[in-house]
Parts: sequence; structure tokens; C-alpha cells
Amino acid sequence: MTIHGSCLCGGVTYEVEGDLDLMINCHCSRCRKAHGAAFATFVSAPTERFSWTKGEDLIESFAPEGRGARQFCKVCGSNLPAVFGDRVNLLAGSLDDDPGIRPAFHIFAGSKAAFHDINDDLVAHDEYPPEWMEESS
Amino acid sequence: MTIHGSCLCGGVAYEAEGPVETMNHCHCSRCRKAHGAAFVTFAWVPADRFQWTKGEELIQAFAGLSPFPRRFCRICGGNLPTIMGDQVKMPAGSLDEDPGARPSFHMFVGSKAAFHEINDDLVAHNEYPPELMEKSEE
Repeated sequence: MTIHGSCLCGGVTYEVEGDLDLMINCHCSRCRKAHGAAFATFVSAPTERFSWTKGEDLIESFAPEGRGARQFCKVCGSNLPAVFGDRVNLLAGSLDDDPGIRPAFHIFAGSKAAFHDINDDLVAHDEYPPEWMEESS
Repeated sequence: MTIHGSCLCGGVAYEAEGPVETMNHCHCSRCRKAHGAAFVTFAWVPADRFQWTKGEELIQAFAGLSPFPRRFCRICGGNLPTIMGDQVKMPAGSLDEDPGARPSFHMFVGSKAAFHEINDDLVAHNEYPPELMEKSEE
């Protein structure tokens, strides 16, 4: 299964081969600012199965010191995937097709927007899930 | 009450004199693409109570098929408010503070993302709410 994604103006497109590994909702203040949304939904895949298929020259990166890069289309401003080493974070809202996968849990619920209530039964971590914290320490 | 907002890098800032008149969730495919999110929450104020306070020269606009261009910061890509005639819709995620208002309805749930389920009790319109349809035909 190939999953396709693109920005609003269609200038930038990408695809991922095969199944996606994980979908999560991130409520951190930086995601909320970058997306102008209550939270951002990310889908993760191995970088080796990801490729840009159009408009790579239209991609702008924003990478403040010490933080991972965020990318967007410089024509329409749509948020685009960002590669972190051997993983790529796709923004679920930019996918053209149903990715099949569904959100598994929430992260950074401790800093969620005041105007948004989490109304589902998924696990809501205050920050990163404990297993990620252990991996990074 | 003054409501403040800004992009991720802080280059662009704005403020609106409250209260927010309406807050709603939009699930349309264009909002999902532009924001890369499951849906977008907007807070609405009259345009005469809104102003940019910093970095107007950093704002990039994209109209596409819409008469009202979407705006974003050309440095960080943060989504910014859209001026729609005498109303401004502010992406709630770009607000710096609790705007006080809470979402009152969903729109364009007829085209919502397959991966997202709506789990609240708010009214969910398939497209625009009927009262907005009437307004736009006036």
C-alpha cells in the first residue's frame, strides 16, 4: 500500500510505501502554534520508505537551535513532513488517503489548549510516554 | 479583555479586543491540508477589533480558490488569522492565552478525516451551518 500526501496548493507531494507504524495526537504548545490547531496528529514511518515526489524546491524549513526542524510549503504555508534521522513524521492532515492507522495515544496533554477537551478513551500522557523518556535518557 | 496571538517563531503577533463571538471546529479538506491537522478550531471577532501588532512584513498570503487568503509566517510557517470581510477568524492554536470562549459547533464533518472521530456532543454540520449559508447568499 502506498500512502500519498500533499500540501494545499499541490505544489509539494510525497509518498510512503507500506504500513505506517504509529499515529499520535500531540497537544504541546509548539505544535499548537505551528499548526494553529487544538492539537497535531502525527504519523510515523521509517525514512527509507518515504520520498518527496514533487516540489522539493518549495519546501521551507524552520529549525530553531536544539529542536527538530518543521517544514512547510513556501507557497501555501501548509505544514509538511519532517525527517528525523531514520524516522519521518507525517502530518495526518496532509495525507491524501485514509492511512488505515488510527491514533494510539495523546502526548503533552499536560499542556493542552484550555479550549479543547479530550473526549476519547485513549491514554493521555502529560508529556512523552514513559518508555520514550527512558529511551532518550 | 484583550486576546493576543502569535506564530511559533514569535515574528508575527496580533491582538483582538474580546470577547470572541464564535468558536467552531472546521473539518473541511482545505483546512486539514493547510494546517496539517485533524481539524482546525477558529475563534471569530469583528475585523474592527483586530490588529496586527508585529511582523506584518513577514506575513505570506495564499488565496487559492478562496476570496479570503490564508496567511502564514514565512519564517516558521505558523498559520495566522484570515480576514473575511468584516470578520476575522483566528486559528485558536495560535492564541497566546485562554480566549475564554469554547467551541460551539463542528462544520464540514461531511468531509472529516477518516482517522478522526468526533467524541463530543456539539452540533455537527455536514457543511456550513444553515444560518451561515443564508448569510453568504445575502
